[in-house]
Order: sequence, then structure tokens, then C-alpha cells
Amino acid sequence: MSDSTTDALSAVAVDRLSLGEPQWLREQRAHAWDVYERTPMPTTRLEQWRYTDLAKTLDLSALTLSESQPAQDDPTTWPERLRVAMDEDHAASGHIVFIDGRVVHSDLDPSLVAKGVILMSLHEALDQHSHLLREHLTTTVPAEDGKFEALNAALWADGIFLYVPKGTQLDLPVRVTRWLSESGTAYFSRVLIVAESHSRISYVDEVLSDDFSSQTFTSTAVEVVARDGSQVQYVAVQRLGTNAFYQSVQRTLAHRDSKLDTLNVGLGASVSRVDLNAKLIGPGANSDMLGLYFGDASQHFDFNTSQDHLEPNTGSDLLYKGALDGDSRAVFRGIIRVHPGAQKTDAYQTCRTLLLSPGARVDSLPNLEIEADDVKCSHGATVGQLDAEAKFYLMSRGLDRVQAERLVVLGFLGEVMSRLPLGGVVDKVTRAIEEKLAQHG
Amino acid sequence: MPVNETVGDLNLDEYKYDFITTSEPVFRAQKGLSEEVVRQISAHKDEPEWMLDFRLKALKVYESKPMPKWGGDLDGLEAVLDEIYFYVRPQDQMERSWDDVPDEIKNTFEKLGIPEAERKVLAGVGAQYESEMVYHSLREEWQKQGVIFDSIEDGLKNHPELFREHFGTIIPTGDNKFSAMNSAVWSGGSFVYVPKGVSLDTPLQAYFRVNQERMGQFERTLIIIDEGAQAHYIEGCTAPVYSTESFHSGVIEIIVKDNARFRYTTIQNWSNNMYNLVTQRAIVGAGGHMEWLDGNLGSKLTMKYPSCYLMGEGAHGEILSIAYSGDGQHQDTGGKVVHVAPYTTSSIVSKSISKGTGRSTYRGLCKVHEGAHHARSNVECDALLINDTSRTDTYPYIEIEESDASVGHEASVSKIGEEQLFYLTSRGIRADEAMAMIVRGFIEPIAKQLPLEYAVELNRLIEMEMEGSVG
Repeated sequence: MSDSTTDALSAVAVDRLSLGEPQWLREQRAHAWDVYERTPMPTTRLEQWRYTDLAKTLDLSALTLSESQPAQDDPTTWPERLRVAMDEDHAASGHIVFIDGRVVHSDLDPSLVAKGVILMSLHEALDQHSHLLREHLTTTVPAEDGKFEALNAALWADGIFLYVPKGTQLDLPVRVTRWLSESGTAYFSRVLIVAESHSRISYVDEVLSDDFSSQTFTSTAVEVVARDGSQVQYVAVQRLGTNAFYQSVQRTLAHRDSKLDTLNVGLGASVSRVDLNAKLIGPGANSDMLGLYFGDASQHFDFNTSQDHLEPNTGSDLLYKGALDGDSRAVFRGIIRVHPGAQKTDAYQTCRTLLLSPGARVDSLPNLEIEADDVKCSHGATVGQLDAEAKFYLMSRGLDRVQAERLVVLGFLGEVMSRLPLGGVVDKVTRAIEEKLAQHG
Repeated sequence: MPVNETVGDLNLDEYKYDFITTSEPVFRAQKGLSEEVVRQISAHKDEPEWMLDFRLKALKVYESKPMPKWGGDLDGLEAVLDEIYFYVRPQDQMERSWDDVPDEIKNTFEKLGIPEAERKVLAGVGAQYESEMVYHSLREEWQKQGVIFDSIEDGLKNHPELFREHFGTIIPTGDNKFSAMNSAVWSGGSFVYVPKGVSLDTPLQAYFRVNQERMGQFERTLIIIDEGAQAHYIEGCTAPVYSTESFHSGVIEIIVKDNARFRYTTIQNWSNNMYNLVTQRAIVGAGGHMEWLDGNLGSKLTMKYPSCYLMGEGAHGEILSIAYSGDGQHQDTGGKVVHVAPYTTSSIVSKSISKGTGRSTYRGLCKVHEGAHHARSNVECDALLINDTSRTDTYPYIEIEESDASVGHEASVSKIGEEQLFYLTSRGIRADEAMAMIVRGFIEPIAKQLPLEYAVELNRLIEMEMEGSVG
């Protein structure tokens, strides 16, 4: 990619998006665009982009921004796959539906509305809760963090705001379902989740599409703040079609004694890049970071994770597992940083990959940087094949080869799901993986 | 128990190699690196034209490459390089007998115990003082079997074809900035050839000593172990402590042919103001076996990642790495294994100890190329931290292009367990002794692979470092 400023992604587009927005936000977008223009496009010479060559995988100049009118808030007009995914999600505290980059539906249990819980599009929130947005928006994922962070902060068209007041506990997850349909489009959205002290929330965000005829780019910036003693679970399920480039930056801030867990499920898209940073910024904070992916054909997954321990007695535990078939490829780059003074840290990091076919390949870089001595830290990475004995056993019990392999892969990935505390999410993710395996077989 | 508050008062001044010999070099090039210096070195060595060309080309490559931005802090290095002497010739010719080595130089090696070790346990000894090998000898029984153990300069003179066939082929000039620098100004080092089927049952040893202040040492070693042969080569390095920084940058090329076995042991105990940037690489043929045993105890900054390229079916590579970083030291070490052929196996075990403001970094690569089916590799890194100002990092790269390969990597970081300390002290063992015991236990898997005299040396060092470390 020679020219990162294109006709569609331009200062003019930033101005157009800013129309009618409050001054602080207009300034924020303009500043972000400045940073974007000043920041060079990452190349493989950068350690963090060593194995994903944007020059070969992304052509921003060919993309346009969505010009279509937002879809109607009427399920009968929605695509069937979106409705099926929604129907699986009856048990929820609230829903958001995104179609082609815009929120078209949101609902929230009235009893939670009464308690002060907020779940709405960023546009609505700008009208009703401007002060909260001004306080939080782009503070956790600032434009300065990088080229894509800046681009997103300048060009986001819509997003989600979830706010849970002090002490409020949601028993059922908030479910977000996104549908993308316009080939050749670049979508930019943001998620802002603020969980006040001693609140509890689970958030599940699923993105779906059919295959695209040309490259389609989706960028999401996710900011999650868990205040003292709160419990937050963030889940992202990516089931995009071919020709999709999925780019997601997720940053989580865990305050004192909070529990902030994440799960990333990568099944679709031609190229998928997830940058996940967990910051443990209060004593006693804890983050579980889970990931699983299944690739085939020429899919490319790149997970770039970091665990920053800034205060004592913090814990983090990362487990990423994936299986790769066809000519698919995965990159896992993870780092645990224990900063000076973060004594009594427990930090772990494990990535395991199954290579199912001769064309598959994986690059793993599990890193540690430890600047405190009273810590327990470890990492492990393995690469191997399908357990031949398990497969043989299943086949001896009458399963055919494909069924047996599918079951062994599911068992391998199942370890990740068994660590998810919320039942509904497990069902959803299991169904998504089974569907992918079925298409695949 | 306030273990960590008192660990800081360690006596690092007890560096026992801190003695200076007053000997006048017969020639010293001007300070800094220039084409003139390169030409002088080549002229002093009376080299063939192709080697001068090789050096001059390398100088251009060196000048064209930027300083590495990764690894240790090299910010101050350019200023250091302007001030050091790249070539210091201590005597006119290399000797074959200790008696002929000038007294001042001989005294140095006597103090280091080299001649004594040669009499007792070694098949051959080489000693380098400043820029040149001052002594090289090989027992007669091995000479008769066709073993060559020479200074690198004599290797070029006496075995020009064998030399030229292999020199610079394993580590090309442009591999990195410092291999290019070494290719331009190399001086000293060993040339080793072990013929087919010959097994040396005692080690060859080379000893490197920097004596002058502001001195750069650039040894170059080329080792060829022919089919089915076996050998073990040991390298030791020391220097006195000066107030200015010194520089050492070696290039070690090793060829292990089919079914041959070779072990290369380094115990680096440079003074704590030495930059030590070394490139070491071995290629291993079918059924061959290469082991690097890499001990890094001294220097201000070491960047060294011994590597094994497993080129033939069933080749095996092993890297055992141990690093100790005290106050102000940074050991940026590790290893690389590259699996090119099927059924190749490798293992890397790294243990590091960081104390005071010391920093130990493991940096490694495990790469399995497509087609290297049934490759297996295992990497284990353990880091021990003694103080809250100590630091450790782990940066492994795992690149797998072959589905039928099995690779594992594990790393852990811990501090000395208070429970272990409590248990030992409750048995009447003094706290600092207990500390030393735990550290010894930690490095035991590597220490037991060392030749006896080095194992003893390592143990002594740890005891010394732990002495008075617990209040």
C-alpha cells in the first residue's frame, strides 16, 4: 500500500462524520486524523507486525465508507443468518443489532434501565450521556497507540456504550450481533464498557457475514474499564466470510480487586488481527484471557496480546488454542510485563496450536519482561498434530475419519471453553465452532 | 525474612582475573576502524590478495549496516569503538613451546593456570593475547592422525584450500553488523580440522586474554569435524578491569559433517566493562550431533545466540546456556535451532540468574522449515531473580512451517523460595550458604555437563557472589 490517504478515507470524511457532533468530539476526530497522517503504515520491520504483511494483505485505497441508509429496526427485513444468530440469544439482559456499521436496534431489560444501566448506540449516548462519553471515549485506546487506533478514532461511524452503575449485577449477558454485507467497504466502530465498582456484567459481541466479492475491512476499538471489585466478561466471536479483513484493538483496565476476563473466538475472515492489552492497574486485579481459533483455506490469524502488571498482587492467565487446516496460518505474539513494584504477581501465558495439514503454519512468540523479583510467571507454547491415538480410538468405535477428527479438534479447543464461567456463552461458541467444522469437513 | 534487602552488598570487586601484565606490544594500529587499519592488519599477516579483498568488502558492509535497535543498550558503543585499538600485535611470531613465549605473556597464562591444564587434561591448547595467538600446540599423537589445531592465520597459510572452501560460508559477512566488523578486522582464533573417524578423547582448549586498555579483540574460528569424527573444544575468556570500556566480537563457524559429534564450550568471564558481541553458528550433517555449552558470567553486555542449522536427516542440536548478571550487567543470550531436514531433533535449556541491577535476557529461535517432517524441538528457560531491582526477559521465536513437527517451549521465572531458605536454615545451614546451595541446585543440570575444572570454577563463583548476600 503506497498511499494511506485515499479518496474515501480522508479528512473530508472525518469532517462529514463530525457534523452535528459536540466540539470536544470534533476536536478528538481531527486530532486522531492528524495522528493517522503522521503515523507510518506498520511494516514487517516492526516487531509487532513481523508476520502480517499489510502491504500484501490490506489495500485501504480500494475501500469506501458505507453511504447507505441505516437498515430498519424490523427483524423481518434482516438477513436470515443474522436472525438465526439472534434467535439463539433469547436469554439476554439486552441486545444491540448492528447492520452495515450502524446500530439499528437496541433493547435493555426495563428493570435494568430503572437501575441506571445504560446500553445504547454511541450516537444516542452522545445526546443523553455526553459527559460520560467525554470522560472515557478514546482514553483507553487513544489515537496515539498506532496507525489503526488513530484511523478508528477519526472515522468511527457508530458504536456501543454500556454502563453499569455501582453494585448493579446483570445475571444475563448483553448480546451484540453484527451483520456486514457491503463488499469493498471499510467499517469503523467502537465499544465502550464501563463497569462501576462491585458491578457485574457479561458482554458477548458476534460479527457475521457472507463471503465478500472484494476486500472488506472492519475495524473495532474496544475499551473496557472495570472499577474496584467489579466482574466483567468480554467475549468477541468473529465469523466473517472470505475477503474480510478483521482488525480489532481491545484494551482492558482492571482496577483494585476486579476480575476482567476476555475471550476471542476467531473462525472467519481472510485476515484477522487482534491486538489485546490487559492492564492490571489496581492491587488484587485479575484477568483471564482466553482465545480459540480454527483456520482453513488460506486464512490468516494474528493475535498480539500483552499483560501489563502495574500493581502488586495482580494475576493474569492467558490461554490461546487453535487448530489450522488447509494453508491457513496463525501468529501468536504475547508478552507478560511485570513492572517494577508489582510484587506477588502471578502471570501465565500458554498457546497451543494443532497443525492439521501440510500447508498450515504457525509462528509463536510468547515473551516475558519481568522487573520485580517476588513473582510467579511462566509461559508455554506447543505446536503439534492431532492426537493419533484419540482419533484411532474414536474410529474403532465406528466414527468415520472426518467425524473422529472433528471430535478430537473440538476436545482440544474445549479446554478453553471449560474455563468460561457463563453457560450461555459456551453454547454459542460451541455451536459456532461446530458449524465451522461442519462446513469444513 | 528480609532476604532481599541485604543481598545488595555483594562484593563484585573480587574479580580474580583483574591483574595487568606490563608487556609492550610490537605493533599497535591507530585508534578506531578505517581502511588503513584493515590494510595494516592484512599486511602484518602477509595475507593473499583474496583475503584483503574479503576484508575490505566486509568493511563496506559494516559501514552500511545500522547499529541493531534490539537486544542490549548499544547507545554508547559507537563512542567506545572510536577510542579502541582494533589491532595490537603482542609478539613477532607464534610459539609452539611455552618456554619461547615472552615471560610477561607467559606469566599471564601461568596465573590463569593454562600450561598446567594442558599438561593434565588437554589434547591441545591455543592462547590468544590481544590480537594474536601467542601459543598453539597439539599433542603429537593427534598430529599423527591428521588432526589440525592451528591459529586461524596458520590455517590460512598452511591449508589454503580447506580454509578457503569453508571460511565465511557458515556466517556470511553480511549476517549482521558485527559479523561484518569481524570479517574486516579478524585476528587470531583457531583453525581446527578433525579427519574422518578420528575421535579426540580429551578437549582442545583456546584461551582468550585481553590485557591492554581500550582494546578490541576479534577472533575468528573455523572448525571442521569430518564424517564420523568427534571432538570437544573449550574457549575461556578474561580481561583485567579498566576504567574504560573494551570490545570483543568473535565469529565462530563450525561444520559438523555426517555422523560427526562436536561440543563447543564457552566460559566467558570478561571484565564487567567489556562489550561482548559474538556470532556463533554450526551446520550439522545427517546423523551429526552438535552441542553448544555456553556460560556467560562476565562482560558489561553480551549478545550471543549460538545456533545449530540441522541440514541433514536425523541431525541433532543442543544448546545449554547459563547466564549470570550482576550489578550493571546485561546478558542477552540464548540460542537458535533451525530444522531444515526430516527427523532432526533439538533442545535448548537456558538458566539465568539476575542479581542487583543485573538483567538476563533469553532470546531464541526455533524454526522448522517445510519438509523437515518429524522434527522435534524442546526449549526450556528458567530465570531466577535475586533482588527487586533485577530484571529478566524471555523472547522466544517459534516459527513452524511443517505440520508434522512437534515443538514445545516453556519458561518460568521465580525468586529463591523463602520456604526453601527457611528449611535449610532450620537445619543449621547459614543463610548465605543456603542461598548458594539453592542457586547451585538451580544451575546443576548445566554445571554437571561442564569439564570438572570449569564446574569447580562456576561453583566457586556462585559461592563468592552469594557470600554475605543474606543478613
